[in-house]
Amino acid sequence: MDFDLKPEHQALRRFLREFVQEEIKPLVKQIDRTSLVPDELLKKAAAAGLFGIPFSQKYGGMGAGEMGYCILMEELGRADASTTAILGAHTGIGVMTMYLDGTEELKRRYLPDLCAGRKIAAFALTEANAGSDAASIRMRAVREGDSYILDGEKMWITNGPVADVLSVLAITDPSLGARGGATCFAVESKWEGFSAGKREEKMGLHGSPTAALKFDNLRVPQENVIGKVGLGFVTMMKTLDVGRVSLGAATLGGAQAALEAAMQWAKMRVQFGRNLANMQSIQFMVADMAAEIESLRSLVYRTAWLVDAGRPFTKEAGMCKLLGSEIASRCIDRALQIHGALGFTRDGWVERAWRDSRINEIFEGTNEIQRIVIASELFQEIGVRIRP
Amino acid sequence: MDFSLTDEQQMFRDMFRSFAQKEIARVAEHTDKEEQLPPELLNKAAEQGMLGALVPDTLGGAALDPLSYTLMLEEIGKACLSTAAVILMHTSLATQAVLDFGSDDQKGRWLPALAAGEALGSFALTEPDAGSDAQSVSTRAVHDGDDYVLTGEKSWVGNASIAGLFVVFATSDPKANGRGMSALVLEKDTPGLKVGHREPTLGLRGAMFHTVYLDGVRVPVTNRLGGEGDGWKIAENSLEHVRLALGAAGLGIAQAALDAGRAFAVERKQFGVPIATKQAIGDYFAETVIEIESLRHLIHYAAWLAEQKQSFASEAAMIKVLAARTARNATNRMLQVHGGYGFSAEYSISRLYRDARALDLIGGTPQIQRVQLARHVFEDTGVKVAP
Amino acid sequence: MKIVVAIKQVLDPRGFTVNRKAEKIFVNREEYIINPPDRCALEAALRLKEAAGAEVIVLAGGPERAGDALRQAWAMGADRGIHLTDKLFAGADGLVAAKLLATAIRKLADVDLALTGDRALDTGAGEVGPRLAEALGWPHILAAHRVEVSDGMVKAIVAVGKQFFAVQAQRPAVVVIASGANQPRYGNAARVINSYREWNPEVWNAADLGLAESDLKVAVEKRGQAFPPERQPGTLLSSAGELVGLLKRQRVI
Repeated sequence: MDFDLKPEHQALRRFLREFVQEEIKPLVKQIDRTSLVPDELLKKAAAAGLFGIPFSQKYGGMGAGEMGYCILMEELGRADASTTAILGAHTGIGVMTMYLDGTEELKRRYLPDLCAGRKIAAFALTEANAGSDAASIRMRAVREGDSYILDGEKMWITNGPVADVLSVLAITDPSLGARGGATCFAVESKWEGFSAGKREEKMGLHGSPTAALKFDNLRVPQENVIGKVGLGFVTMMKTLDVGRVSLGAATLGGAQAALEAAMQWAKMRVQFGRNLANMQSIQFMVADMAAEIESLRSLVYRTAWLVDAGRPFTKEAGMCKLLGSEIASRCIDRALQIHGALGFTRDGWVERAWRDSRINEIFEGTNEIQRIVIASELFQEIGVRIRP
Repeated sequence: MDFSLTDEQQMFRDMFRSFAQKEIARVAEHTDKEEQLPPELLNKAAEQGMLGALVPDTLGGAALDPLSYTLMLEEIGKACLSTAAVILMHTSLATQAVLDFGSDDQKGRWLPALAAGEALGSFALTEPDAGSDAQSVSTRAVHDGDDYVLTGEKSWVGNASIAGLFVVFATSDPKANGRGMSALVLEKDTPGLKVGHREPTLGLRGAMFHTVYLDGVRVPVTNRLGGEGDGWKIAENSLEHVRLALGAAGLGIAQAALDAGRAFAVERKQFGVPIATKQAIGDYFAETVIEIESLRHLIHYAAWLAEQKQSFASEAAMIKVLAARTARNATNRMLQVHGGYGFSAEYSISRLYRDARALDLIGGTPQIQRVQLARHVFEDTGVKVAP
Repeated sequence: MKIVVAIKQVLDPRGFTVNRKAEKIFVNREEYIINPPDRCALEAALRLKEAAGAEVIVLAGGPERAGDALRQAWAMGADRGIHLTDKLFAGADGLVAAKLLATAIRKLADVDLALTGDRALDTGAGEVGPRLAEALGWPHILAAHRVEVSDGMVKAIVAVGKQFFAVQAQRPAVVVIASGANQPRYGNAARVINSYREWNPEVWNAADLGLAESDLKVAVEKRGQAFPPERQPGTLLSSAGELVGLLKRQRVI
């Protein structure tokens, strides 16, 4: 059992770390204050290949697999959560839906532009009354000739206001509901009938544009169905599953950055005649952070390996997201505490990370849902079907 | 042991609750966005006697008993923690110092203005290198005739830009590590006293924390509270009082979070039922009320000790830790109950979450409280516990 | 056009700390990077390739890990990478390094330009460029900022103190690129991946270069090492307001 990353992935990490630290990290405060990730930055990221990391090179991707993608998300997570959210929603769930279940033709049509960052993707599942209960979506897709007419509204869609192509779930057969009667579509935002609402004002993740979306009798050609008609819910759940692994990686990066910053501060800050690093309660906080991070690291990269090896990974993916989000929140909170008053001022960086990280326990499936998913998988292994 | 509130305490509570909901809660979101209290708010609070809560009525105060004071702060904290912070820094830190250590003459000079809200009080102890290690204050107080000349820099001074009176801690002997400290009262506009940069904060955005520069500020010796070298004792006394006050405010915000979460959990339906019926969600509420009720009773006990004129130093430390934890946990859990809406700036819960986080920092961190409590536990064994 | 770029690896300075009291260097994280000035040289070569068309060949000496540097160079856009490695090359000084490079360049034949960085982060010597020119018998340009080629010549803007001069030389020539002359590109993630999957650097040893031990005698003898004298640390201020306050308290203003 070789626990080292393959040389190409080690090189990829070095490459991505340099890019992120040089290009993204210096802009973090500005991104939070202006609520904008500069276009300039996204262009540079696209040129470096950051928009297509996991996808096969035959579609214009970088060919780095889920392992490479987790490395990207970890490196991004170390620097800025808003940029991570943009790239994560684009790659991990937006494009991923088409990559997992799209026809060859659909993939050849859309993936090259998406992988090159010439177009941005989003994942549109959530609605006002369908959050954790994703199956209670109401958006309709009515068959009309060789198209479908989509009508409805989505909510809280990351990248919604800026996306060119969206993976959207709509009900095609109301008598069957979402499970069995929903279909996934690749929708272009430039098509007639699409509009994005005003950007949500959030506690954190200011640079990540999120909005409600309206689909008003929007015509989608049947060639843009992703996966099988009626089985769209499965497609979406499959995508969310794999998306959780990389979210775990992003939270790993955030936790790691918090640990490093806390330690640097503990080295510098002197009170009671010695540096904080020499206070036992601080030492124990740091040790706890490191132990949690190390266990998360093993979990995330082993799960990425499962994905690339084609093995089942639903339970582990849920764990990545669940533990990752909670560990990141704990580590960042401890880092804030170690920084004392400096952790509370907006002139520092910790408070931004603290505001940004809170959403991780909520989106991509709340941690309550993750626990249900994990429990469900576990009990299934011993023959028990549980109801949420 | 009678746990009930007296009629008078109930009356005060209802009065504070009504005022807080009507005048403070209504503008709480605005206070957070604009990062300041609405101009008239403190005047209105002063009219209610809130700014002179513990000052004797002979000097224009409301002469509240300690428990009623905690009830007041609980109601204000429930409405807006920023407002509670501004008020309690004035009452429990600055005014308390004058109340407990001022001569009759000094009390007569300053308490009426403080109680009426004509002068807001500010407490300048912390420095860039004296945070948790508050005793290592290095602001100098040098004798010059009948005056002290103060030189130094204070940080995170609450209320500084709107204060009329500052209680400043300076040392005549930096090497004496706290034993050389004195507490001096300065009026705003004293030459050399300069209010500087304001810290933009994560939460408590309606309160203002500034760096304050003292550049050769001349202050008469008659402005010193207590004796020379009494500074640390005076600081500790105020800190004890403010811990109890922050505890009460923290109880308030925890309750506010619980109330918000409860309303949301009843309204929001998923999987065909209100989420309040889901066991995991119910667990969050259960844990929250356990913490809230524990805190409430500890506060009431400490208030009772205060009323008996007994020391409540340890209880204040316990309350500070417990309140910060309770508020943090309550707001965090209730934010989770709100799901995606919890992250939206349009719902109040994210503001409560940001505000509550301050409680682990202002008035002394739990790290320091725990050292104090450990010291207290081992006090009579002869074993010495220090930070 | 054929352009050779000479690169070397150095220890990542972010991975070690210096303890003056103990007069020791503690390597906390042993990682190697392409010597940053050499990356500027590679970037200059790649820009020439984009402007005028060229084959960019990267040469690197060093132990096995130098392969990573060559792969990174390929990922940035180089066409060939050659690892010059042999037991006999160990401990090479500037003179021997120049000789190795010159031999390799002659073996490659028809090379128009040899680009190097202006110094290595570890030795700080900056001699390889001029020594290489000497060994090849080519003209050399130092501290080059903007490099252009045209009809048999190479032109550059060079910095001398605070002034800039336009110089030119006949090709083939050695051009030493000034640090900070350009912002080296990152490359592209797909090429980073492929640099390990589809590509391998070529390996040339002493025999391939026709060099014997007697050809590789160093000219430098190390007699000892010492730390430079200590400087008093300053105070880090974070705002103009802090500075003014400090100056006021010291009664300067």
